[in-house]
Amino acid sequence: MKTVFIDCSPKRKFSASGFIAVMTSLFVFGSKKKMKLRTKSDHEGILKELEDADAVVFSMPLYVDGVPSHVLPFLKEMGGWCRNNNSHIRVYVIANNGFIEGRQNEPLMQVIENFCLRSGIEWCGGLGIGGGVMMNVMRIVIVVQLILTLISLIFTGISTGNFFDGQILLGFLKSLAEVLFFGCSIIMFDIWLATCINGKKEYGKHYTRIMVPSFLFIIFADIFFTIISIVKGGIFRGWFSKKRPASYKDF
Amino acid sequence: MRMIIHDLDEDFNERLKTKSEEVIWADGKYAPCQGCFNCWTKNPATCSLKDSLHEMCRVVGQADDVVIITENCYGEYSQAVKNILDRTIGVSTPMSTYRGGEMHHTLRYGKKGKLKVIVYGDVSDNEKATWKLMTERNRINHGYQLKELVFVDSIADLEVSKI
Repeated sequence: MKTVFIDCSPKRKFSASGFIAVMTSLFVFGSKKKMKLRTKSDHEGILKELEDADAVVFSMPLYVDGVPSHVLPFLKEMGGWCRNNNSHIRVYVIANNGFIEGRQNEPLMQVIENFCLRSGIEWCGGLGIGGGVMMNVMRIVIVVQLILTLISLIFTGISTGNFFDGQILLGFLKSLAEVLFFGCSIIMFDIWLATCINGKKEYGKHYTRIMVPSFLFIIFADIFFTIISIVKGGIFRGWFSKKRPASYKDF
Repeated sequence: MRMIIHDLDEDFNERLKTKSEEVIWADGKYAPCQGCFNCWTKNPATCSLKDSLHEMCRVVGQADDVVIITENCYGEYSQAVKNILDRTIGVSTPMSTYRGGEMHHTLRYGKKGKLKVIVYGDVSDNEKATWKLMTERNRINHGYQLKELVFVDSIADLEVSKI
């Protein structure tokens, strides 16, 4: 069995969609291929991989309540390709958004379902994830923490002779446990999705989220964007101002 | 101010200009959103890509009412129109709040009047249901008070005088 995972994020690296696709693929058996869909030049390579694939998993971010614009021409091309080749590939989707409610991904799910109906291929459902961005940030933080922990262990080992300082290890394991707790629902729904892919079964539509109360998530998100805006300087360049167009006619 | 965003041809573009103060022709001659969020965090209300959509969110932000004319694409906007929508998220700010009991971004240009979406082409019943949901989500997200959704079978059925 061959499964093709398509990371539909326009970001070159560190995308939440790419991370979730990799995480899902860990629980999928058989041959696996991860592809990136950013530009039209990616279409040919992906379609070639689909030739002998049993299932395809689209992993994409929610853009303005729907599918990112650069994905739409690929869907059209793939639809034509599926009809011409009488393909019966099974289609799954993982949608993630920056809001806390996974259910906000519902229109995107329906668009992919409509695409399958028009293309004569099998819609097997999908997972809508709320707060996927936080999951992505946490995995980057935990990797950085792991590196710092290892450096700290080495230096402590050199100075004391004990390379397995319990306190340092415990600190890292505590952080790891927190990440796993916040992401436990996403991981569980992800494993369920992988089980359906393995069993060639329909998954249906399911929605989950990061395990944080929504009012806290909003505070976290606002703090996150404030820090990023300070670092990038946007906070000093009319962060909230009702800017008027400079290069268009005056309104 | 009333704005029309459409993916029709040049002839329609000229005719629509007689109906609205501002007409945005989604001709597809621009790049898709890169997901960098710089229009929120680096240069607010300005896209990092320096093409015809560089300051489009500022233009869209000035409109009170927006009419979108789009071809159906599986219950979604056409690529050319969706590209404009994706590139204009700077009409909101990076800060979040509750709206309609859900998390949404706060609005840079405040609440709007009416969002009218005219969908042309072959639209299945499933896709019509998706359009109803999609436009309602757009209305809430962008802070429009009202929403109208119209389906027409072909461009020939579009009467400029009724838009």
